[in-house]
Amino acid sequence: MHTRTTRAFATQIVLGSLVALGAGGGLGFAIVDLRHDISVSANTARVLDQRIAETERRVAEIGGLVATGQSPEALEQRNQTLALGLVPPAEGRVVRVGVSVTDRLAANRKAEIFAAETGQNLVPVRFNLGGASR
Amino acid sequence: MTARGFAHNLRLHLLAGAVVASFAVVAARLVELHVLDREHYLSQIQDARHRVVADPARRGDILDARGDLLATTRTDLTLAIDPWALPEKIAAQKFAARQAAFETEQRAARAALADLLGLPAATVEAAYAPAWKDVPVTEDNADDAADGRVRMRYVKLLEGVTEEQFARIQALRLPGKKDPVRIAGLTHERRFRRIYPHGELAAHVLGYVNKEDVPSGGVEAFADPYLKGLAGWREIERDGKRVELAQFRQREVPAADGWGVVLSIDCAVQHIAEQEMSALVAKFDPAKATIIVSDARTGFLLALANHPTFDLNKFGTTPLEKQRNIAAADLIEPGSTFKIVPLAAALNEGLVTPASKFDCSLESMVYNGKPRRFMRDDHRYDHPLSLGEVISRSSNIGTAQIGMMLGDRRLYDYARSFGYGERSGFPLGREEPGLLADPARWSGIDITRIPAGYSIAATPLQIHYGMGVIASGGHLLRPQVIRQVLDASGEPIYSFRPAVRRTVLAPATAEAMARMLQKVASPDGTAKVAALPGFEIAGKTGTAQKLIDGRYSERHHVGSFVGFFPASRPRVVISVIVDDGHPPGGGTAYGSVVAAPSFRRVAEQLVQYLDIKPVAAPGATLAALAAEGGRR
Repeated sequence: MHTRTTRAFATQIVLGSLVALGAGGGLGFAIVDLRHDISVSANTARVLDQRIAETERRVAEIGGLVATGQSPEALEQRNQTLALGLVPPAEGRVVRVGVSVTDRLAANRKAEIFAAETGQNLVPVRFNLGGASR
Repeated sequence: MTARGFAHNLRLHLLAGAVVASFAVVAARLVELHVLDREHYLSQIQDARHRVVADPARRGDILDARGDLLATTRTDLTLAIDPWALPEKIAAQKFAARQAAFETEQRAARAALADLLGLPAATVEAAYAPAWKDVPVTEDNADDAADGRVRMRYVKLLEGVTEEQFARIQALRLPGKKDPVRIAGLTHERRFRRIYPHGELAAHVLGYVNKEDVPSGGVEAFADPYLKGLAGWREIERDGKRVELAQFRQREVPAADGWGVVLSIDCAVQHIAEQEMSALVAKFDPAKATIIVSDARTGFLLALANHPTFDLNKFGTTPLEKQRNIAAADLIEPGSTFKIVPLAAALNEGLVTPASKFDCSLESMVYNGKPRRFMRDDHRYDHPLSLGEVISRSSNIGTAQIGMMLGDRRLYDYARSFGYGERSGFPLGREEPGLLADPARWSGIDITRIPAGYSIAATPLQIHYGMGVIASGGHLLRPQVIRQVLDASGEPIYSFRPAVRRTVLAPATAEAMARMLQKVASPDGTAKVAALPGFEIAGKTGTAQKLIDGRYSERHHVGSFVGFFPASRPRVVISVIVDDGHPPGGGTAYGSVVAAPSFRRVAEQLVQYLDIKPVAAPGATLAALAAEGGRR
């Protein structure tokens, strides 16, 4: 094979060019693909950023609405609307106790439980001591 | 015949030459584009695609002492119309039938938009009427004809559209359509907006941020360096549809959101104060009134309510007069509430004891070689009054005698020590220093007037913190309203500590004064209506005639009650100051009439809210009381 003739040189140029074209094209495709991936990733990140910002906006809006709904004035209005009859605590309605609160609550509860048994439906029990009859 | 390769020599050379030439042309063009014309094309790209986009910082929240939101930032939108977009899009449809269908669809979409926004359909249709705007001919480069008028491309439709409304607009579907409809020409602009969830609550403490994002008054202005944050920016490129090409983001400086501020104001206490203020205003119709509640031990404000007040969300329609924080910016004559100053001073200097007696039937007394006429008392006393009686019965004559014992200079010095005549350092509301003249400029009768709280002027805050000296055991505390600064994630980065401006009285003097001030709210005192059984109310009434046209008026008064409780271990200081109240049925607006009842009602609710324990009855120990402090 002639390797040093003009024709061979031209052949080499053509072949070299074809190889360069192929390699360049392949590299180009790879770069385009890479850039496409970068673009997709960047856009995904941007969309996520937007969604985070949107969520934060919604959180802030709902936080504001909750705070408005919980304001003392709003709660008072609701108290009136729903006829709950809640009133602010006042010293006159408070009974301060001088004994153990636990004991007092227990005593109150016991009194409530046994209150029913002291009602008029009970049949008085009569004990006949020693079998004696009256 | 010579052997041939895969091609004829000449053709091969031509092919090779063409390939090389093609590469050379491509290379030359690349050099032209990327080297020779680089700046030209780059500038075109910069103009068309490159943008620097601001990234505004979110302003920090203002929270109350329990973490409830008092001020927060949310986004809202301004919707606008490009009226020319609709005819352009209709014209862009290829067929008449499509144009008609598009027009019908858009008309239905506009009607639905009006419905979603709560606007009359006619308003939306009017915004879509194509209009022109006159501009100087030299600036008319927005369309083809340089005729001095350009198409108006922006017509504001509605401000303050919520995110929820906007989401519904974006999801708007017409009957029979699967996809959301795009409303031609509708544009939006999103911006941060400050909202105040509690409306009027603590309006003068909070201040507000106006539409230009400039803070005005209150914590908003004072704490602006903490709250405002730092805006960011980023360089972006956009495609032909003006969508950002995220992969070409070059430089980005993210916004740093503002820090949060925690106040010492407690929503519940503030509400109690404002509710009482409403009741007071409804009953006495005063020109102005203030209720101040602070922590007796630290000086931190728990509530500050003023009348008149305003809704922070409607600042634009509120006269500036109503926006003034009268607790800090208005001056009044303190009247008898000032009497605690000469009495405490005389006790502190050892000039008197609680058992000292004063003849309060005198009409004048010689001072500095000249007779000085006293201000009259409301009652005549047939026996000398003890120091405690002087204060519980608010005797002008007794207080003037004590002032004379102190002398001009010492009285003045103590008044300054109590905070009169100088700014307290309260950071909100353009505080006034008050008026307290140097003794060198006092007139002959000032020594009888100043001890009774006349011939001087003070802000309600000065009067309040003057009483705070006795409640705190002798210290003048700095009025503070900010407890903590939080970073954007809510972690505290700075906490403000209680600050003592100066020590004014010995603790024993403060305790003796507290005991004497208890008698004011006793059956023999001037404010028995302020009494709250079991809670040792200490305080002082004040009724100052108003100076109108150079004369003290008999009909216009500033009535006040300033006090604290429990006297033996103070928790809160409360001031109620009512300027020009009108008691129902006429009569003088005494402090005991217009202010003391409000003090008691506020105190009564604070007992429950702050869980203030009653003071032990004689013979019982405080420890036992604390153990028994449960409620049924």
